[in-house]
Amino acid sequence: MNDPIRDAELMMTRRQLFGRTACGVGTAALGRLLAASGLGGLAGMAAAMDQQAHHGLPGIPNFAPKAKRVIFLFMSGGPSHLDLWDYKPKLRDMFNADLPDQVRRGQRVTTMTSGQARFPIAPSVFDFKKYDNGGDGIYVSELLPHTASVVKELCVVKSMWTEAINHDPATTFLQTGSQIPGRPSMGSWLSYGLGSLNENLPTYVVLHSKVSTGKPNQAVYPRLWGSGFLPSEYQGVAFRSQGDAVLYLQDPDGMDRGTRRKMLDAVEALNHQSLDHFNDPEIAARIKQYELAYQLQASVPDLMDLSKESAETMELYGKDAHEPGTFAANCLLARRMVQRGVRFIQIFHRGWDLHSNLTPDIKGQAKDVDQGCAALIKDLKRQGLLDETLVVWAGEFGRTVYCQGPLTKENYGRDHHPRAFTIWMAGGGVKPGVYGQTDDYGYNIVDKDGKIIDPSVEEFTPGAVHIHDLQATILNQLGIDHTKLTFHYQGREFRLTDVNGHVVKDLLK
Amino acid sequence: MKPSIPLLLVGSGVLGWGALAQTPAKPKAEISFDRDVMPILSQKCYKCHGPDAAKAAAGLRLDQFSSVVATHAVVVGKPSASKIIQRVSDKDADVRMPPSDSGVKPLTTAQIEILKQWISSGAKYEKHWSFVTPTMPALPKVSNPLWCKNPLDRFVLAKLDAAGMKPEAEADRETLAMRAAQTLTGLPPDPGQVIAFVNDKQPGAYERFVDKLLASPAYGEQEARYWLDAVRYGDTHGLQLDNERGVYPYRDWVVSAFNRDLPFDKFVQWQLAGDLLPKPTTEQLVATGYVRMNLTSNEGGAIAEEFLARNTFDRVDTTGTALLGLTVQCARCHDHKYDPIAQKDYYGLYAFFNSTKDDPLDGNVTYPPPVVRAATPEQEAKISSMDRAIDAVLAKVNPDTAVQAFTANNKPIPATKNWQISPVYSAPSFDAAFDQVSAAEPGGAGEKGWKPFAFEIGKDFANIIGKDNASVYIRGTIVMDKAETIGFGVSSDDAVKVWLNGKLIHSHKIGRGIDQGIDRVTGDFKAGENEIVIKVINGISTDGLNLRLYDPRDKELGDKVIAYQKNPSSAVALREMRIAYLAVGPDETSRKEYQRLMKAKAEFESSIPMSLIAQEMEKPRQTYILKRGLYDQLGDKVTRHVPGFLGTLAPAAQVNRLGLAQWMTSSTNPLFARVFVNRVWQQHFGTGLVKTSEDFGSQGEWPVNQPLLDALAVSFIKSGWSVKALNRMIVTSATFRQSSRISKEKLAKDPENRLVSRGPRFRLDAEVIRDKALWASGLLVHEVGGKGFKPYQPDGIWENASDPASSTHIYVREHDTGIYRRSMYLFWKRTAPPPAMVNLDAPLRDTCIVRRSTTNTPLQALTTENETGFLEASRVMAQRMLLGPGNDDMRIQRAFGLVIGRSASAKEMTILKTALSGFQQRYANDEAAAKKLVMVGDAPQTPNQRVSDQAAWMLLCSTLMNTDEFLTVH
Repeated sequence: MNDPIRDAELMMTRRQLFGRTACGVGTAALGRLLAASGLGGLAGMAAAMDQQAHHGLPGIPNFAPKAKRVIFLFMSGGPSHLDLWDYKPKLRDMFNADLPDQVRRGQRVTTMTSGQARFPIAPSVFDFKKYDNGGDGIYVSELLPHTASVVKELCVVKSMWTEAINHDPATTFLQTGSQIPGRPSMGSWLSYGLGSLNENLPTYVVLHSKVSTGKPNQAVYPRLWGSGFLPSEYQGVAFRSQGDAVLYLQDPDGMDRGTRRKMLDAVEALNHQSLDHFNDPEIAARIKQYELAYQLQASVPDLMDLSKESAETMELYGKDAHEPGTFAANCLLARRMVQRGVRFIQIFHRGWDLHSNLTPDIKGQAKDVDQGCAALIKDLKRQGLLDETLVVWAGEFGRTVYCQGPLTKENYGRDHHPRAFTIWMAGGGVKPGVYGQTDDYGYNIVDKDGKIIDPSVEEFTPGAVHIHDLQATILNQLGIDHTKLTFHYQGREFRLTDVNGHVVKDLLK
Repeated sequence: MKPSIPLLLVGSGVLGWGALAQTPAKPKAEISFDRDVMPILSQKCYKCHGPDAAKAAAGLRLDQFSSVVATHAVVVGKPSASKIIQRVSDKDADVRMPPSDSGVKPLTTAQIEILKQWISSGAKYEKHWSFVTPTMPALPKVSNPLWCKNPLDRFVLAKLDAAGMKPEAEADRETLAMRAAQTLTGLPPDPGQVIAFVNDKQPGAYERFVDKLLASPAYGEQEARYWLDAVRYGDTHGLQLDNERGVYPYRDWVVSAFNRDLPFDKFVQWQLAGDLLPKPTTEQLVATGYVRMNLTSNEGGAIAEEFLARNTFDRVDTTGTALLGLTVQCARCHDHKYDPIAQKDYYGLYAFFNSTKDDPLDGNVTYPPPVVRAATPEQEAKISSMDRAIDAVLAKVNPDTAVQAFTANNKPIPATKNWQISPVYSAPSFDAAFDQVSAAEPGGAGEKGWKPFAFEIGKDFANIIGKDNASVYIRGTIVMDKAETIGFGVSSDDAVKVWLNGKLIHSHKIGRGIDQGIDRVTGDFKAGENEIVIKVINGISTDGLNLRLYDPRDKELGDKVIAYQKNPSSAVALREMRIAYLAVGPDETSRKEYQRLMKAKAEFESSIPMSLIAQEMEKPRQTYILKRGLYDQLGDKVTRHVPGFLGTLAPAAQVNRLGLAQWMTSSTNPLFARVFVNRVWQQHFGTGLVKTSEDFGSQGEWPVNQPLLDALAVSFIKSGWSVKALNRMIVTSATFRQSSRISKEKLAKDPENRLVSRGPRFRLDAEVIRDKALWASGLLVHEVGGKGFKPYQPDGIWENASDPASSTHIYVREHDTGIYRRSMYLFWKRTAPPPAMVNLDAPLRDTCIVRRSTTNTPLQALTTENETGFLEASRVMAQRMLLGPGNDDMRIQRAFGLVIGRSASAKEMTILKTALSGFQQRYANDEAAAKKLVMVGDAPQTPNQRVSDQAAWMLLCSTLMNTDEFLTVH
């Protein structure tokens, strides 16, 4: 059954296929998976003969990467920068004052507040404390005590901005570089460009986190980790905390591993008959995919099993980490995936869309993520993984300084705010510190002298970081020139950053 | 088969084929601008020197002869004097074009050579091939005319002759039957029909078999499935909340249109503009669901103008790709870089689609208007007869009686004053807020914080509480002339209590919106001042109150009488007054009769599904170029027009979607027919003659066999746009009938089978794989059409992906045999489609897809191994096999035949027997495990079968359903 000469012929043919088509009928990725599987025979041949397929696209990475992988912590709904990161002490005296027109400058607001007669200022009720970050220090809200303990590792960007003002377009924009659905997600681009680092796990994994307030008020759905017009094998694989971690992973009750093996042996033997008859290389590929599936059935449960983690580690992540599906448990899983060569891990945490009742709800939100974030960074660092792992914490936009709905000293709501918000990054060659600033209202991005910066979409605006700039910078850390990771579709070269985006060099070591 | 399918192209002599002179195949060496030169210019140069007038660097446009000559980029006949040759071949990277920082690689020597030859031979420009209306090409001479079953084979064979290859022998009949059934109907063939075909020794046996497939309702379903990918059909709105959307009658109409072989030009005209046809039928309106298929949203905070632009982009882009094979969206922000589509032209198309009546925001409702009850003609007749019966009852109402009955009831609203509002009282829960006796409550401790409140009878007051789990009190004085018992209405968000003169007269604990239901309350008012106190209790989110004095119905009915008295000659006013009279008047007998008839009609109508349709606004919106595609950056005004290189609307045509539809489907449109026939070719061979089915523009692939493509397109038009005839021609060709075995020689020479040197071989679509498994098990319920169904699905797929407020947040799977319907009827939630389908490459249906990607991943293996539906199908098929007669060998052969469609070889029998005995041994002494294994799915167990046998056979069936041959058409 094993005929190396025949295998070699088939692989030769497949290579020609690869050479001819940017993305043939799944064949490019097939080569990648085959090669990574290290199964010998056909696959070994593939690895030897088609290194390119193993490592992703030819020429990618374009230069030596700083980071090998990314953990993206997506705070879905738009966390309030004003209550978490962007300390505005002057607002204390402006309670219920009208937001000055020269600050808002007639900019569009959502139709949730465009009908409001006033835009009254709601100062944050939360205390901020200054922490030593190895530089000028950074103020962090009392809501994030654990994160505050790792600020020496964080590159905090206070001047993020986006063009979208509502969730669906803004989230789609951050994930795919376009507000309109249909483009590949960042993780898909990376899988496509860089290929896999592992043999038996997906390249791009998505994890969803429980929300303790019980108000996961924004939808996140497969499109957001979809592959768009890239072949669908590049889409993110959503791991689940209920049922099978990977859909359909588990064999049915009443079937043991040995019986599955018997069945797969029969499938393979029949497929070899077909291969002999038809000589179609796709049949060889199918045989290997069934083997990979069999391996996944072992490697995924091993990945998900936290029982061998030390008590100390579990303590680091906190008691939430014992409960599958919490943000903390997902952070720990992310570290385990990093160790097993998963390229891009995205953890979603929902519930940040606090239009009303912000002050009690944000406490729960922050508590959900705070310890996990800090533990992840500490854990990666002590394992020597932080340098080559880029961690990103971001939502799709920030929130308004003015109140939505009833305003009291104790409670308020905030609407969506795309013009300025805060994110942070760590590891992966980014420079710890603080980048950018906003005006006294946390409304506009300003320069060092407090002058308002009107950032441009087309050109890089120093001091401000557009979504496409963030994407370009992330790609840069992975050794990719964001203008060169492209895919020919519908007559043109598409890329994650569309026609814009600049690497923000000031964020880098 | 219906004899109505035009028998085109079967043998020469039909439709002018025979009359065409046979010309030898063209010698190759000649340089063609379009085929050889343009792709180089397009890929390497057009980005800066192409059709985008605004970007033409250094004033040079390489797509225009005048420009290249004027700038000396080209000196005709003199390559070495031509600047373009100098620049592309310069050794200095700083001088060389394309610039080193452009990301575009330098030209190869071969490419430069082509440019030189082109300039030497006169630098002739030609229109891009696909922008020239196709004509019927001459039949080429071929090496073996006898091999050809119909003219398209001549075109295929001519290519093979030129490449020095011979076609493969015809596949055996069992294989052919399976292949044709799968590509034409998406299901295996009926075994009886296969036997009849295999034993049919008369000429035309295969054609007869194909005609049966074309007559099967499954044909229309299969054809529709591809169409639904292109128009991105789904059962939800697709954005944010992603609520359910009611439009499945459109899907069913598409199936029915293909099954009736509705001419393709009409098929498209109705979809683009059925509403603009004179006196459109219900069917023509339902077809306009095409226009409404764009994703929509009503996200809190969404801006209508922004979504109008987004929705319209979506419509234009889909129309561009699905019907024209053009990437028009590239011209949204600037002139197209590669094709002659100016930004102005994009918005010219946009202007056809931006003036429909539907609100740009969908209101998060299932039926954002306009909608139509998608009644069949029979259903429409029944509704008419019901209407006549209702009219007869109404006609019996004497107008004078009605006037008399109402005048008495129409009273002025009494005066009110001193309205005040209390502070807001919070509580730990909704229940507590409802129960709690606050200071302001009659009988409470007394509240000092009452504030004046500008309250009005009959008006909505929203957000008077502004907090979850809290309450507020409103009080006021109502002044009556005399003592009277009055009915009044209270709407509240959420719960409400009412006191009149200190006495609690109404209490209703409910969570609702202010517009959801009116509480009817009756109060005994005294003459003079009466104090009313109302407590509103809010659960979550918004809150509000509306108070109406007198029974609101009386008021409304009184209005009808007044309207009638003002205009007694108005039939409408009279009718409305009669309806009002029957609704609440004193004539109980007539009322009951009227209500009975209305109820029956309403029940009947509600059994008929509604469907989203397009309707044009009376006055179209003014269209502007949107600079950089931004909805609020208005540029120049634009009028409706089509891109100039594709002609213009007919002079007499209306300048609206109907005119556009007529232009689109005209036989002179160079793209429309080609784009569709290419997709039908792709359906049967896995790859189109133009591989980039979504792009026929200059960046798309040059057709691998243009004469063949043009012949298909022209004959399709001449057949009266018969899609069945087109399918028949392709499937009955000798080309399609070839064996799909791959010789070493052909694997090297034609690895992707682009020349069709052998039969098709490609993995089946997700839906077909599932349907085949159901078919083999006997579970398949073949009902055409109907509401999308929800079968087994792992927990959390919807719940984890959606907003809790979404109407598609919780997946409730169905338990009847509807779950065994064909996969094209799966309920399609566009943000979380059925996961087994997605794993097998089904598109999400949020964007136009005319070519699915076909991948090969381990997740697919896990899906067909372990998904409940597939396991259930194996289990039920096992029961079926065990019921049949014979020994294991015979049963294995039968199972193999059902799943694979042929008999198993000796080697295959050995493999399967070994596997089966392994499974039998495994379960023979472990009934507990066997029982667990077979406990999958709803389908009933067969009594008196040993579970260990069932388990073993279940795995055997599952083995077969995981073979490459099952998953592949060949």
